[in-house]
Amino acid sequence: MRSILDILIKHNHWFLFLLLEGISFVLIVCFNNYQKATMFTSANSIAGNIYSAITDVDSYFGLKTENRTLVDHNNELINEVESLKARLREYEDSASIASIGNARNNDGFYYKTARVVNSSINKVDNYITLDKGIMQGVDNQMGVFNSKGVIGVTFTSSDNFTVVLPLLNSKSIISCKVNDNTLCTLKWDGKDIRHSYLIDLPRYELFEMGDTVYTSGFSSIFPAGIPLGRIEKLEDSADGQSYRARVELFVDFADIDNVFVVGHSNREEQEKLEEGIY
Amino acid sequence: MTSKTLIRTRNFVLLALAQVIIFSQIHLFGYATACIFAIFLLKLPRHTTQNEMIIWGFLFGIVTDMFCNTPGIHSAAATAMAFSRKYILAAFTHKGLPDDFIPGVKSLKWGGYLVYAIICVSIFYAVLFPLEVFAVRHFTTLLISTAGSTALTMLFVVVAEFFSPNR
Repeated sequence: MRSILDILIKHNHWFLFLLLEGISFVLIVCFNNYQKATMFTSANSIAGNIYSAITDVDSYFGLKTENRTLVDHNNELINEVESLKARLREYEDSASIASIGNARNNDGFYYKTARVVNSSINKVDNYITLDKGIMQGVDNQMGVFNSKGVIGVTFTSSDNFTVVLPLLNSKSIISCKVNDNTLCTLKWDGKDIRHSYLIDLPRYELFEMGDTVYTSGFSSIFPAGIPLGRIEKLEDSADGQSYRARVELFVDFADIDNVFVVGHSNREEQEKLEEGIY
Repeated sequence: MTSKTLIRTRNFVLLALAQVIIFSQIHLFGYATACIFAIFLLKLPRHTTQNEMIIWGFLFGIVTDMFCNTPGIHSAAATAMAFSRKYILAAFTHKGLPDDFIPGVKSLKWGGYLVYAIICVSIFYAVLFPLEVFAVRHFTTLLISTAGSTALTMLFVVVAEFFSPNR
């Protein structure tokens, strides 16, 4: 008996070991349910406070990546805003198309949207390139305009691109009218991108400064009534036979993005009919 | 004796903080997690009583558990390691050593100390990981975790040995 006790006392660390292992296993089995584990987990206040301090420091180290993420996100949002703006502009433009269409009773004209992919404004003969071509139904001899006014006439098309002859080209001649009845022609002098000239204005007609110039609608390129600009100054033509008017153009050619292309479904028929006569 | 206990308590607090704040947060490649409080248990003098050893091990385990949300797991493993240390150390003890030596490079040489440390640390992880998954999940995963964590811990054991004042 004595010797058994001696052995037990001598090996008391075994009991301590088994006791502590037992406690550990009880903890494992009973407290792995988090709700019961507040005492021995990070939910208690000491561990919680230390952890919040760690997190504060840790978040400081994360600032660089955080910043990067924010910049990226910002960039994404800017792009989104831009694309939404572009779409809004498109819708606004289609709204104005709709009003034009209604006014014109929409006889035979159809519209396409396009984007400007390239343009020049600093030459005597400027051109604009659009991102739509024959495949998208954009061909030569179609009118191009945006929400502000007329831009030009398509000139040549490839499968997916179209070159436009804008008002800012010495070869561009647009038939237009002032005061609903006076026919005249708009021609650029190659100098100022904000202004163009109405030539061959008959002397018997009366014009006022600020009268708006519209497309005539007599060619099958543009429907009638799309604005071009406003008369700013009347002067004599070089030969003195007629008037010449300086027109302030509505379209800012330095800033065009989305445009509309208007075509006429019966243009070829009309041209064929007129061919032998004019 | 009292000053020794004070120093030990200070070391305990510092190592425990380092463990829960830094080392328990690092999971290298998803497998290896270092356990630096093992250094404290490895470096206790040879004649530390088994009871004291076991209690130190249990305390380290329970503190780590508190912070890692693993009640009982670290304490079971650390207690097992503390308990078995005496028997492992006995295998490396030879006659030329003073009676109450501190295990280290100075007393056991590099080879002896490293093997002793590797065995102790592997025991710790060999208990820890099976308890953690509480099932023989993937035997190979357990093996990789144990080997990886042991290697990582050994790295710190070696580094600590270089900075140890009485190696």
